[in-house]
Amino acid sequence: MIDRHDDWLDDVAAYALGTLRADEAARVREHLRLCERCRAEYAALQPAVVQLAYSAQACPTGVNGPQVSPLLKTRIMRAVRTDAAPRPAPRSRSRSISPWPAYLVAAACIALTLLTSISNIDLTARLHATQSQLAQNARRIETLQRIDMESRAMVADLLSADAQRFPVNNGEVVRRGAHLYIAMRSMTDLGRGKTYQAWTLARGSTTMTPSVTFEPDRSGGAVVALPVNATGTSAVAVSVEPFGGSKQPTTAPLFVVSLR
Amino acid sequence: MERVRKRDTDAFETLYDDYHRLAYGVALRVLDDVSAAEDVTQAVFLKVWSAPDLFRGGNFAAWIARVARNRALDMRSSAAFRPKSELPESLPENENLEDVAVAHLDAESVRNALDKLPKDQREPIEMGFFGGITHEEIARRTGIPLGTIKTRIRTGLRKLRHELEAAVTA
Repeated sequence: MIDRHDDWLDDVAAYALGTLRADEAARVREHLRLCERCRAEYAALQPAVVQLAYSAQACPTGVNGPQVSPLLKTRIMRAVRTDAAPRPAPRSRSRSISPWPAYLVAAACIALTLLTSISNIDLTARLHATQSQLAQNARRIETLQRIDMESRAMVADLLSADAQRFPVNNGEVVRRGAHLYIAMRSMTDLGRGKTYQAWTLARGSTTMTPSVTFEPDRSGGAVVALPVNATGTSAVAVSVEPFGGSKQPTTAPLFVVSLR
Repeated sequence: MERVRKRDTDAFETLYDDYHRLAYGVALRVLDDVSAAEDVTQAVFLKVWSAPDLFRGGNFAAWIARVARNRALDMRSSAAFRPKSELPESLPENENLEDVAVAHLDAESVRNALDKLPKDQREPIEMGFFGGITHEEIARRTGIPLGTIKTRIRTGLRKLRHELEAAVTA
């Protein structure tokens, strides 16, 4: 008599190896909860599958197999350490307490000066100049804080587990919520007179819209936030254009990626 | 992993040092492209960092190999659609995947053990795991009945397990 469980056991092996379709895998997973014999079979086979993965493991020296670039670790650890860095305090709190101590101190000095030298015209003129300078500094600080917060938000988006990633040559297009980014590496320095330019295709449109121009850093990396709503964008492309950018692509795109 | 969950970058670095070659090797085998394999490895480890709770315990090597394989298959299928099989990243409860003995074998020993399998068992196993295709697709491509493919996979995995145990005790 044929043991009907043999069919299950065969399926358990396929499940352990990962060759079942999603619906079949769900069926086996449910069965594993109920069947001790199949669970034991799965436990027996699983180490073999793990070792199968180890058969492909890269070699530290590269002599007996592929070797991993040390730059990969540098990139990953840089991203991790950036993400692990202390986050800025909430904005409302920071306004009232810490970020602008110089401003607050200066403001107190100004108040004191007003009380003691109200009749001194020369001092009043200097006071106005100081106030003007302080206001400028405050605007600068606010701008820097905004840039800092945007950078942190971008890093959070790029590292997020729920971000959608669309691989392209030497990089990826990342979509998270309404935000859209291009993250590239190993880009060629184009030299004078040329620049990289991003293009976006709005949903329902057939014409690419010019987006930002950008240059890679010294290591050839570039991370660009595209100023579009990602949910209304169906494709992204990058091409090489004359410095300043173009209204229409003038060269074949380096890549065009469809955002499914 | 507990320390990684607490955002300890040193612990994460140790984890990377211990397992990146496994993730990269699997990705490279699936994709056959160094640059793409690096991208997958980077994505996998950043996922470990940003969402460590996705790993629910058990054998970390098994888990990260699965995640790397699945991510590599995703990347490959993004270029051209292929039937995709599922290798779960979350595992059934109450299972014990720890296997201390075979876990200490090096890649070459495993490759030797794999080479000892009969070709008709080794091929569907490698096609399924690294090719990311279903047993139905393996049957279609090889012209071998589906039931036979399933049985060969099971028999091959059992033999591989025995070969690895033998390699440990040798």
